[in-house]
Amino acid sequence: MSAAGGLISLLVGTALLRLVVTGTYGRYVRVGMGPWLAIAGVAVIVLGLVTLVREARRGERGAPEGSGEPRAGAPVAPLDGHDHGGGNRMGWLLLAPIAALLLVAPPTLGSFGVDRGTQVNVRAGGAVLAPLRPGPKPIAMTLLEYGQRAFDHDGASFNGAAVQLTGFVAGTDPGGFRLARYQIACCAADAAPVVLRVVGVRSVPARDQWVRITGSFHPGDGEIPELAASNVVEIRAPEDPYE
Amino acid sequence: MSRRTDGYIPVRSDSREVNEATSVDSGEVRGEREDRRDTRPVDAGIAIVALVVVAAAALRPLLNHLLDRPAIAHWATVFVAIAVQAMPFLVLGVVISAAVAAFVPAGFLPRALPRRPALAVPVAAAAGAALPGCECGSVPIAGRLVARGALPAAALAFLLSAPAINPVVLTATAVAFPGRPAVMVARLVASLLTSTIVGLVWAWTGRDELLERARRRPVEQGPPLAVLVSTAQHDLLQAGGFLIVGAATAATLQTVVPRSILDAVAGAGPLALLALAGLAVVMAICSEADAFVAASLTQFSLTARLAFMVVGPMVDVKLIALQAGTFGRRFALRFAPLTLVVALVCSAVVGRWLL
Repeated sequence: MSAAGGLISLLVGTALLRLVVTGTYGRYVRVGMGPWLAIAGVAVIVLGLVTLVREARRGERGAPEGSGEPRAGAPVAPLDGHDHGGGNRMGWLLLAPIAALLLVAPPTLGSFGVDRGTQVNVRAGGAVLAPLRPGPKPIAMTLLEYGQRAFDHDGASFNGAAVQLTGFVAGTDPGGFRLARYQIACCAADAAPVVLRVVGVRSVPARDQWVRITGSFHPGDGEIPELAASNVVEIRAPEDPYE
Repeated sequence: MSRRTDGYIPVRSDSREVNEATSVDSGEVRGEREDRRDTRPVDAGIAIVALVVVAAAALRPLLNHLLDRPAIAHWATVFVAIAVQAMPFLVLGVVISAAVAAFVPAGFLPRALPRRPALAVPVAAAAGAALPGCECGSVPIAGRLVARGALPAAALAFLLSAPAINPVVLTATAVAFPGRPAVMVARLVASLLTSTIVGLVWAWTGRDELLERARRRPVEQGPPLAVLVSTAQHDLLQAGGFLIVGAATAATLQTVVPRSILDAVAGAGPLALLALAGLAVVMAICSEADAFVAASLTQFSLTARLAFMVVGPMVDVKLIALQAGTFGRRFALRFAPLTLVVALVCSAVVGRWLL
């Protein structure tokens, strides 16, 4: 399958580069991995192109496939001939994620995993944070920072400041809804959600809807950090959907 | 962990681009086939690639419909994430492996490396520290070392230790457990110990004939650069295909088995150790990320979390698939359980001693 192999490599590399160029890769891996994906994509494209060119030349010359001479004592299978171990037939499977990516591009992780995974324990750090200085604009922060501040001396460090959080709706809750955002270390397979409760809203957005919330700290039951919302704006999923 | 609030991308704006890309690809395919019709039989493989691409394009509405189901969308995202995340590491491993095939003369490795397992295995395990990356890259490299005549037990020790003890992973571990350097030290010690013991056990009792598949790996003759390209191409497709099997398995297990069932066994000594080792096998996450996940499993003891970090880079569903592809299925069926048991014992002992 040598020529087909070259073509598969070409497709793999193109899919990787496309992920980087469109920024879609942020749905699947840490944003910092972009350059590495680009390098890998280029390398695989070069590999595929060289293979295709060599195959085409070989075809023109009419040389038999796998011109390598078997070495004495070691039976050597021709590279592009039949691999009876089932080895290279596996290469076809690389088309599966490419098909998924080129055609539907799976979405960012949603609320499905929130109740099933282990949530980030925001208390674990026991961090003591510098007090915020309330200004005319709400202060944007991560859900993790919000949770840590909420548990640091019962939210004393908020100092009454208005904050702005971005996340998705992970279900309704008495008096409001749950706001969540995943933390990832490497890729979506290791994602762990930070979950807050948003109270004081008139209507609850649809599940999995991304929202930007302006509000202020609200002392809750001490189990899960609470936010009293003053404004909820529905937005599209951010390019870097993870914290 | 950065956060950007500007620059949103519309979720489904790229539909037109996709169709264009698809038609370009299949056009290329047709051209290629016609060019060759006179000189040799049509490469059926190319026709199949084209067919798959066209069929997938036709089924697009159906796929979109499927993704409306949260469980399937979750599966697809995790599946693609594992595959994408692994690609740079796999490419690195494949290129290094091909460079060994192209530039290291046959017969050099057996002469240059120590022959006695008692010396070769610990040296190889320690040498794993020199390969920065995660587990996907070390499998093709170890396979190539075996093919080039290195002592199998030493190559296997390298295979196990490289993803666990390289500086990138150890740094990540130190960052994930701030103020607790003992965790990083325990990870280093337990991983080195496990890979050395497994290597030695393999040297004394192992059946190297199970590695025939790796030994018989084809090597094309010719100029080094040609060998580099054809070997890299071959290894990429082979390892890549098995990686996809592993990614699909891990995504399925992550979607089907809720992680919250773990809470039932948290804290209960040996059971917790087994539970987290099982989680590591099932999750198949990158060794550069597992320390952060381990840090978040606060309901478990440090020793149980150490087992998670020692087992993860050595035994998981993605790795078992890769090892089966590189060394053969019968090898993987023996090697993975052996490694798992040794890793559990080492984690328990080192955890008791250092944590």
